[in-house]
Amino acid sequence: MADAPSDSSEAPGTTPLVALSGVNKWFGDLHVLQDINLDIARGEVVVVIGPSGSGKSTLCRAINRLEPINEGEIKLDGTLLPQEGKALAQLRAEVGMVFQAFNLFAHKTVLDNVTLGPIKVRGRNASEAREEAKKLLDRVGVGEQANKYPAQLSGGQQQRVAIARALAMHPKVMLFDEPTSSLDPEMIKEVLDVMVELANDGMTMVVVTHEMGFARTAANRVLFVADGKIVEEATPEEFFTNPTSDRAKDFLGKILQH
Amino acid sequence: MRYPKTKALFAGAALVMSLAACGDDSGGGSGGGDSVDIPVEENPDFPEGSTMAELSEAGKITIGVKIDQPGIGFQEPGADTPEGFDIEMGRIIAGQLGIEDDGSIEWKETISDNREPFLEEGEVDIVIASYSITDDRRKVVGQAGPYYVTGQQLLVREEDKDKITGPDDLAGVKVCSVEGSTSLATAQDEFGADPVPLGTYSECVDQLENSTVDVLTTDGAILLGYAAENPDELEVVGEPFSEERYGIGYQLGDTEMCEFITTTIQDAMDDGLWADAFEATLGESGVETPESPEMDECL
Amino acid sequence: MQVLIDNFGQILDGFAKTLWLLLFSGTIAAVLGTILVAMRVSPVAILRFAGTSYINVFRNTPLLLILLIIAFAAPDLGFTYEINNYFNFFFMAATVGLGLYAAAFVCEALRSGINSIPLGQAEAARSIGMTFAQSMRSVILPQAARAVIPPLASTYIALAKNTSVALAIGVTEASFIMKKLNAENAVARWQIFFGFAFGYMVIVAFIASAGALAERSGAKTR
Repeated sequence: MADAPSDSSEAPGTTPLVALSGVNKWFGDLHVLQDINLDIARGEVVVVIGPSGSGKSTLCRAINRLEPINEGEIKLDGTLLPQEGKALAQLRAEVGMVFQAFNLFAHKTVLDNVTLGPIKVRGRNASEAREEAKKLLDRVGVGEQANKYPAQLSGGQQQRVAIARALAMHPKVMLFDEPTSSLDPEMIKEVLDVMVELANDGMTMVVVTHEMGFARTAANRVLFVADGKIVEEATPEEFFTNPTSDRAKDFLGKILQH
Repeated sequence: MRYPKTKALFAGAALVMSLAACGDDSGGGSGGGDSVDIPVEENPDFPEGSTMAELSEAGKITIGVKIDQPGIGFQEPGADTPEGFDIEMGRIIAGQLGIEDDGSIEWKETISDNREPFLEEGEVDIVIASYSITDDRRKVVGQAGPYYVTGQQLLVREEDKDKITGPDDLAGVKVCSVEGSTSLATAQDEFGADPVPLGTYSECVDQLENSTVDVLTTDGAILLGYAAENPDELEVVGEPFSEERYGIGYQLGDTEMCEFITTTIQDAMDDGLWADAFEATLGESGVETPESPEMDECL
Repeated sequence: MQVLIDNFGQILDGFAKTLWLLLFSGTIAAVLGTILVAMRVSPVAILRFAGTSYINVFRNTPLLLILLIIAFAAPDLGFTYEINNYFNFFFMAATVGLGLYAAAFVCEALRSGINSIPLGQAEAARSIGMTFAQSMRSVILPQAARAVIPPLASTYIALAKNTSVALAIGVTEASFIMKKLNAENAVARWQIFFGFAFGYMVIVAFIASAGALAERSGAKTR
């Protein structure tokens, strides 16, 4: 899969899957997103890294309008993000999201967590949705847990269920907002393995993470974000071996000591 | 038409605040404009240690009265003191104790429900509040009198006066009266009426005009007052179907006090003061002054 | 004690009417309270404002005043609706007044339950494409239901006791019978008070144990 994506984003005539132009956002006086311009091609895996408070999570959440923006525009597959309402809900169904805190529906079993969207939002037949959900749960390695409640699962298992829940909607793009940050170290790998596999299958992904290993192996492109700006944009090899900005050098210096 | 409705609302709100307000409504000595000239005894002599001696020496008396019954005990919004037949009786008794109505009489509002507790706890010295004498009440409080005898009647809308002519027509009819009153219990228990208890008679009159109730029942004297206010719309129907003997409440067992009250009222009946009081109050609505009733002996 | 035995039929009639008031007004409060809470947490600013205004008006006005205004203003506006002589105009007025009043408290109890659900639950629901209404129905309210039971039970216990205020506008519920018996039996005040207090306690105990039961059965499925 390493061949096509990075070229296609620049190829004229192809609409990018996700396109941000002139995006600005403020939290009160804090300018958290400053003039963001970003195109993501179909099948591309973009890893967003940067110090905490840099705005990288906000950038990720702006793509499905969990955070509304103040200026600029965001297009998904050529369509402008609509205002709050039914149209936005429909569009969000096309964008899978995985949260740092998993956010599984606490009152539903693992299986019901995965089938809820397809049944309620897509209007799919319940038994069909269950069949597919079981396959997805097997795929992420938690098929055994289908009838348990989220609280009975480990963090790593919960996060894999969350990935299956997002995949069940057949999204065009998957957003990962620090998916491993609240996991114990021994569970990080099981989640990253699932993500690498997804990337290899050609899923378009935006991943906010501190996992440099994942960035090296799976990313087509690395964005380094600091103080609300995209400071540096490069392939993983270039970024990790030869960062150009002082901020990125400083950041990598601190990270790689660990 | 509008006025009594607003009044009813105020009366309702007043109910909420009555506890706080009733403490200091003693006011100036003017009283009712056309009240009777009542003699005040100077330095009356009472047996040592009696309630009369105590009250007389203190120069003060607290009398529980109604303030929502025109002609009997009624206080105009904004007025300092109530007026009515019960109030005149209070003045006559106070006068014999050497107490003038110049602020030395505290008129305390009582409602049907709190008359016994007020007497038992000493909140008031006596109660003159259209307070029917019953055997049951005489077990907890003393009741001297009767100083007036009336009977339960019905007030209906003009258009219903041929349909409802007496208590036998009350079955299944919405009958309003003041909560806790014997009139309402009689209408319900003996004549099968559907009772609607409200806070004041004026609220009942208001709802009677709204047709949400069909009858207001209580002592005829009170009903005549309301019929006189709305002669085209409301009418008192039928003969009195009960005998209500109004008594003056005092602390149970205080026989000296009972003797004093009975003698005082008897004297007023004998020298025409009682009749004068009636004419100036209940008589205003056109009722003829009745024979003064025979009073019970004190036990 | 004899007074209570002699008048047992009347006392039961009184409490029957109390229960009817509770049932009717409780239903109004539940329906209206749910609509109000949906308004209060909705993404639409005007609905939020309207919901908040309602709460401020009805929670801050004494119940007695609400009942008096309805009982005396409604006929002036031409509303004198009644089902029959038992469910008469005054019963209807009291039901509406109690329902409007309690709805404000039901709304706030529900809202405290909704606020106890982590924001991430709503975000997850929205991220799989659920509309506001769908996420409320399928994700937020079922979870809030458990957190809501204790404050909701308190609200309904308060409503059960508040039905006695309906006496002020002519409803012959339990406390009317209590006053009536008091007027007829001046010697037995204490027995009558305690008898009726016991009656209310039975109703309250019933609501409280229903709440406890609902809470326990909720805990099992978690």
